[in-house]
Amino acid sequence: MFKRKAFNTTRLALTLLCSAPLLWAQSPDLPPGPAQAKVRTACLECHDASIIVQQRLGKPAWTKEVDKMIKWGALVDAADRDSFIDYLSANFPPDKTPAAMPRAGSAKKH
Amino acid sequence: MISRRDFLRQASIAIAAARALPPLLTWAADNSSVQMPGEEGMIVRSARFFDLETPSEFLTSWITSVPHFFVRNHMHEPSTLDADTWRLTISGEVEKPLTLTLADLARLEKHAVTNTLECAGNGRAFQQPHVPGVQWQKGAVGNARFSGPRLRDLLQRAGVKPTGKQVMFHGLDEVPGKVPPFIRSIPVEKAIDGDTLIATHMNDAPLSKHHGFPARSLVPGWVGAASCKWLSEIKVLDKEFDGNFMKPGYRFPNQPGKPGEPVNPDDMHVITALNVKSVIATPADGSTVKSRSIHLQGVAWAGEADIARVEVSADAGATWKPAQLGREQSRYAWRLWTYAWKAPKAGDYTFMARATDNQGRTQPETAVWNPSGYLYNAIDQVKLHVQA
Repeated sequence: MFKRKAFNTTRLALTLLCSAPLLWAQSPDLPPGPAQAKVRTACLECHDASIIVQQRLGKPAWTKEVDKMIKWGALVDAADRDSFIDYLSANFPPDKTPAAMPRAGSAKKH
Repeated sequence: MISRRDFLRQASIAIAAARALPPLLTWAADNSSVQMPGEEGMIVRSARFFDLETPSEFLTSWITSVPHFFVRNHMHEPSTLDADTWRLTISGEVEKPLTLTLADLARLEKHAVTNTLECAGNGRAFQQPHVPGVQWQKGAVGNARFSGPRLRDLLQRAGVKPTGKQVMFHGLDEVPGKVPPFIRSIPVEKAIDGDTLIATHMNDAPLSKHHGFPARSLVPGWVGAASCKWLSEIKVLDKEFDGNFMKPGYRFPNQPGKPGEPVNPDDMHVITALNVKSVIATPADGSTVKSRSIHLQGVAWAGEADIARVEVSADAGATWKPAQLGREQSRYAWRLWTYAWKAPKAGDYTFMARATDNQGRTQPETAVWNPSGYLYNAIDQVKLHVQA
């Protein structure tokens, strides 16, 4: 009985591992900073961090993006809006080299 | 037999176990890879939503295999897709609204189109100043054989009223938060073109989930956004669909403006056909070649037009020589091209490739800047170090 349950649990774990890699793939995490936790909660609800970390934008463009996302349902307290914009503008500015994006399926570097 | 309680308990243990494990099955320690069976080698621009770019070294075959075909999703893919219960409705400005099953589509005459599908934002990463969006480089493009019934045949059955001017597509992708749904429309003239399809197959196999199973629109020669995946609703409208992905989305300035300056959506038009464009697939930019015999490979396409020629420069654009075009060709499909050149000596060389189409359009040195970085088609270049 125990073995059967253990087997089922293992099988279920494997199933979840196999079926949920996309949910797991949280991509490169967001960099440390005062707004990191709140940005993570508000933004990664709908999409992963990679779409954020690949951007290279100035403050006006980040302002536009944050306001668009709030309009589209991102839960950001009005008091936090400016800190979101500051955090994103400071970490992903136009003059920073974008991080290389990962390849699918193989640990081999291309 | 597992009881529901046992299942839930085991599921929670399994989830805990899965969370406790190091993410070996997802991201490698150096973040250089992410496990995605069946999509090996693709560049993961985003895992959620799912956006995969084809590395340029894969752009060397006339037909792009499905696992190597770029994926562009704006939303979550449909959580459930059942071929038996899937329905396609046709409504709006029609005499007879229709509801069709997949079996109904299969009974209609099938037509195949080999089409180069390119995301409107392909090359966005090269725009200066930078623009927001998925930072595609060269590979949000692929060429595949799409097949299925003609949209025209479906519209004929429904009977488009004289008031019908645009044909709207709506898919089953799942919208997060208050994001506007991905709905777009195309003019009725393009919808009734004999090559515009409701594609059910890609490279002669049923569409995969990432590419729109069980059916998608396929609007040949036009930006990928016109070809709506997981299609469930076609509606004939008396005017262009009024929604985010028609305006301000997917619009291009009527007149080139100053790079970096905002453009009023009223001074822009909806993007339709693709530009003339070529890319150098191999060797990769920045690579070292261990022979003075250089062999460049690439692809060139021009939307609804045909590629007339591709020229290559080995001296950063000072002089140009014709590349050899591949034999395989079909309307709306890209052309392969190759260029062989002997380097006079070891050193660093900058190669450029530029395509010209049969409408006389040639790739520009600098693409027209626009706020979303659409239709980037500047002359491609790679820098190579020749060692021998």
